Amino acid sequence: MEELNMWLDFPIYASVAILCWLAASGLFLSSGKKLMNQLAAGLSFAGTALLLVFMTILWLHIQRPPMRTLGETRLWYAIFMSGIGLGSYLRWKYKWLVSYSLGLAMVFLIINLQHPETYDKTLMPALQSPWFIPHVIVYIFAYAMLGASSLVALRNIFFAPSDKTIKGPIQMADNLAYLGFSFLTLGLLFGALWAKEAWGHYWTWDPKETWAFLTWMFYLIYIHYRFRHPSEHKRAMTILAVSFAILLVCWFGVNYLPSAQNSVHIYSE
Amino acid sequence: MSNETSRKIEKHHWSYREGTIVTGLILLLGFVIQTASGGIVLRIAGFPWNLIAGLIFLFLLVLAFYRWKNHPIMKWLGGVKAALPAILGFTFLVLLMGFVKQDVEPKSALVRTFGLTHLVKTWPFMLINLYLMILLGITTLKRITPFNYKNAGFFLNHFGLFLVLLSTALGSSDIQRVTMNCYENETEHNALDTSGKPVEMPVTIKLLNFNIDEFRPKVTIIDNKTGQIVLNKNKNPFELLDRNTLDIYGYHLEVEQFLESSGKVGDSYVSLNEPGSAPSAKVKVTKDGSEISGWVYSGSYVNQPETLKLNENHSLVMLPAEPRKFSSELNIQTPSGKNVTTTIEVNRPFHIDGWSIYQLSYNTEMGRWSNLSVLELVRDPWLPIVYLGIFLMMAGAAFLFITGKPKDGGTKHVA
Ligand code: HEM
Repeated sequence: MEELNMWLDFPIYASVAILCWLAASGLFLSSGKKLMNQLAAGLSFAGTALLLVFMTILWLHIQRPPMRTLGETRLWYAIFMSGIGLGSYLRWKYKWLVSYSLGLAMVFLIINLQHPETYDKTLMPALQSPWFIPHVIVYIFAYAMLGASSLVALRNIFFAPSDKTIKGPIQMADNLAYLGFSFLTLGLLFGALWAKEAWGHYWTWDPKETWAFLTWMFYLIYIHYRFRHPSEHKRAMTILAVSFAILLVCWFGVNYLPSAQNSVHIYSE
Repeated sequence: MSNETSRKIEKHHWSYREGTIVTGLILLLGFVIQTASGGIVLRIAGFPWNLIAGLIFLFLLVLAFYRWKNHPIMKWLGGVKAALPAILGFTFLVLLMGFVKQDVEPKSALVRTFGLTHLVKTWPFMLINLYLMILLGITTLKRITPFNYKNAGFFLNHFGLFLVLLSTALGSSDIQRVTMNCYENETEHNALDTSGKPVEMPVTIKLLNFNIDEFRPKVTIIDNKTGQIVLNKNKNPFELLDRNTLDIYGYHLEVEQFLESSGKVGDSYVSLNEPGSAPSAKVKVTKDGSEISGWVYSGSYVNQPETLKLNENHSLVMLPAEPRKFSSELNIQTPSGKNVTTTIEVNRPFHIDGWSIYQLSYNTEMGRWSNLSVLELVRDPWLPIVYLGIFLMMAGAAFLFITGKPKDGGTKHVA
């Protein structure tokens, strides 16, 4: 074990997980039988659990929290995304949402398969903090919830021609967005407290911070718009979709922006 | 309702349009003042003026609210129709910051005049901040009179943010931030401020010991001709030398001996622990049946690194070790008569008499043999209020999480 690069095993874990999820999505979408749905739920859980096992072994193996590289955060995202899909199925029985979330989680696994993540055990001193894990976990969890909410939003935009025809899934987009936003707020505040402990400034407007703040602002706009206009679904869903685009810039795009050079937040690839 | 009052309400029925106009005017005014003043960097007055200004602001805000509580414009100021455009206006400024690199010398005259490279210290930013604070203050007051426990989450979020905005804006000029260069076994009481000017500190600090823990070094393969690291598609160009065998770029590496701290004696390396010694490893490298063995040495500010030539094209090199942790053992004396000995490291500052002492840096060229430790000393008297605001917002986030989205959008329990 000691001499093994953990990521060499990743394709096995990932392909089994993808197979489980494909089967689960197929069953969810094709069959109405209760037993088949239960089997599908079991399969999607199996895929998620397998990745969790991989993550645990990886964590033990590299002796630092696996939250540093883009590949590692993608893996967390796949885990949370599939977990949230399953959770929302168990809670609200939206089968299409599990399938969407599993689909998105699979995309992230496939990206990881094509760019097998390298493995770097070093962690710079600034990142060695008790804040590191809660900060990143809360953020990835928020991203996964908000991702799911914008999936619902996009579905609503494309499949429902008017405000009146949108019904059930609206509530779900709102629920996910509210939960995601509360985690986003926590992640932002944890980050500020941590920065103060590590560097003596809680906020420096570093490009990643700026874009994280922008993401938060866009969801803030959504929350306030929703509060005053609870039945103008279509526009609300559009704000949700745009907010997620900003979130993606914050997550992946910041590295390429002219405003970002030498940021501590840039993930090492 | 008489005709008279209903017409009055009609006349004062401000909405998004007015919200957009007001926000737009504030931004415009901000940029005009900014341009007219030649793109200066704004600073708020320091203690006690900022405190006095803050108290007057609070007083006026509360007074105005209770005086004109029922005026339609006051209601508008405490509602979403003013808030949304204001938040959007603020978002617009932050978007600018997201695209223009901050805190650098402006490249063009236009960027300089508008202050785009230091937006947080410009008029438009400060004015929109002030406007947001007024809106937040009024909406909070509106919701807590009369108080209803259902509004607790709302109060925590909005008043929390209000406190954060107010205390960071007012406190910005009271923050003192200096760096201190401490050499081992020397007592230091001078520091440099952010502009590099020397300042005398009330505390004196003696660096008893500076210590670095290092990761094992990484190894990589370089091209003999170019000296560049050989890049392998989809693979990490480096490997950490913490295992006995590893594979890199088609080569199989076996570590026969690893020395944490060493120097060259004759043709090989021996364990040494004196300034300038560095990690080395004796390795055996095999590829396609051919085998080469020899030493690689990461080198230091005293000693040359040693690479191992593998063949015509490639050599194996050992990179300088990266710090796992660096720490300073300090003796600190304060004018209040305190005398403490403590160890600080990154993420573990020490707090004494209102100052926080951070481990900032060291002589990176000398690495773990550095006899210099650079400390950062920060004093931020407004911090408790900022933290109070942050904790209120955290509690508010917990509320949001628990209650989620109100079924009717939430307008029910609102006046
Ligand atoms: C940027 C400054 C902000 C302004 C100017 C503002 C303003 C407002 C206003 C006017 C309302 C409607 C209140 C009413 O009509 O009685 C509102 C509602 C709301 N705001 Fe804000 N807000 C701000 C920031 C925030 C933040 C930071 C959060 C959360 C972290 C937040 C969360 C909410 C929520 C959840 C509601 C719905 C009210 C409820 O469910 O009780 N707002 N805000």
